[in-house]
Amino acid sequence: MSQFLQVFLSGLATGAVYALVAIGFTLVWQAAQTVNFAQGEFVMVPAFFVLIGMHWLGLSFWVALLFGFAVSIVVLGLLFKKLIVEPILPHGGITLIIATMALGILLKESAKEFYGAEAQPFPAMFPGDQIDVFGAAVSLRDLLNLVISLGIVILLTLFLNRTRTGRCMQATAQNPGVAEILGVDVKRMVLYTFLINAALAALASFLITPVYLAKFSNGETLGLIAFIAAIVGGFNQIRGALVGGLLIGVLDNLTATYVTAQYRAALPLVLLIVIILVRPQGIMGTSEGRAV
Amino acid sequence: MSDPVLSIRNIEKSFGGIRAVRGVSFDVHKGEVLGLIGPNGSGKSTLFNCILGQLAPDAGEVSVNGRSVAGMRASQMNRLGVGRTFQQLSVFPKMSVLDNIILAGQEHHGTMLSRLFGAPDAGLTGEAERMIAFFRLTHLRDELAGSLSYGQQKLVDAAMAFMAGPSLVLLDEPAGGVNLTMLSHFKERLSAYNAEHGTTFVVIEHNMEFVMSLCTRIIVLAEGAVIAEGSPDEIRANQTVIDAYLGG
Repeated sequence: MSQFLQVFLSGLATGAVYALVAIGFTLVWQAAQTVNFAQGEFVMVPAFFVLIGMHWLGLSFWVALLFGFAVSIVVLGLLFKKLIVEPILPHGGITLIIATMALGILLKESAKEFYGAEAQPFPAMFPGDQIDVFGAAVSLRDLLNLVISLGIVILLTLFLNRTRTGRCMQATAQNPGVAEILGVDVKRMVLYTFLINAALAALASFLITPVYLAKFSNGETLGLIAFIAAIVGGFNQIRGALVGGLLIGVLDNLTATYVTAQYRAALPLVLLIVIILVRPQGIMGTSEGRAV
Repeated sequence: MSDPVLSIRNIEKSFGGIRAVRGVSFDVHKGEVLGLIGPNGSGKSTLFNCILGQLAPDAGEVSVNGRSVAGMRASQMNRLGVGRTFQQLSVFPKMSVLDNIILAGQEHHGTMLSRLFGAPDAGLTGEAERMIAFFRLTHLRDELAGSLSYGQQKLVDAAMAFMAGPSLVLLDEPAGGVNLTMLSHFKERLSAYNAEHGTTFVVIEHNMEFVMSLCTRIIVLAEGAVIAEGSPDEIRANQTVIDAYLGG
């Protein structure tokens, strides 16, 4: 039982970080009706911004984290929206999807060229001490990762549902034309969405990179798992992305411990196939009709 | 007569070789309910979109309350006091009726800080409830807008257009697809709102009974130009209009 609890909590912690990235997919989908296939690289890059802050600018770790966070918001939020999404979106969602694939490759190869192909150690924000939770030895880092990730999701949900700006963002996602005519500054709401996505990606990066180390290829796995988590949970629902992320994190850990570690990478794909066959809108998602 | 709420001067709009609107000019004064009618392709919707800034006219000028609206975005037009309803359904389907109506009014209140951290209803719940009651939607207050019938959503759409207290409301085929019972109720509410608030309406509509009974003045367009203008009775009796649009 204690081993189960340990594996379960550890899975929840990893899954909560997946959820942060998956929520980014959901937000961008709602704001721009497109899928950002560079999302995994958006999680890989902020860790390198922090390392640049530490190694090149001589900043302390915590200051470098703030530096990395700020640069991520500007580069992955503001510049991504202004330089890629705005000019390309009028040419269609598919064009933008292809552009984000190209951006992902660019970011990955740039990180490799700039920082090398070797994995770089990345300091953890929290100590890795084990603590006792109902008889199970659980990493304090895992627990704090879980608490912080869930806290961020709760704050984001409160922001979207309990503030005027959040409601305007929801209105923009549901019907941008009408929102604009009612006086909502739709362009600004879309920008907020991209800034939040960048912030979520940066936070996920800071939480998960101490485990994976900073490596140019980290985005491949993270992006794929988060994309699947968003689909499994329901691509048009933030709570769906949360459920999908947690589910994949927990199932991945349980499968690796109790069934086989050999095919753990296949588990999200199996889950994806099952969901698409059984409930294509995802666990929490709702069907969307489109006018043609 | 008072200064016009809406002033249209020599509006021209072409699409390729087709002149959709040809030098249309008219004024609409405070409290007027102006109907814009005409056969399909007569330029009504193009003119509507030019007024709202969704299409840039090739020539001419649109002024609201004496101010040129050239180049204004829809959100800026809204802040200037221009509301509109849509031909298609235009509510936020995953929000409640109350939230839809609050959202329609909230952008006119508060500072940037209050938008970020202030009360989500911007203190408008009471006003929104009065608007809901005015359109007799109180029993649907907490329902998701997307779950309502077509006619009910049209009423919500109208309530949203009026929530910001506009001086001018453009109604784009408000009767389209609405059943007769709901339509009568809708028309009665629009007339009541006009009488109570003195709000100016411009209505595009194909339903002649609806437009003749709601509007105080009617402009008839055909092939992009004004062919007649007058009271509903004058329009009914106008031979040019009968030949071009109303038929025998």
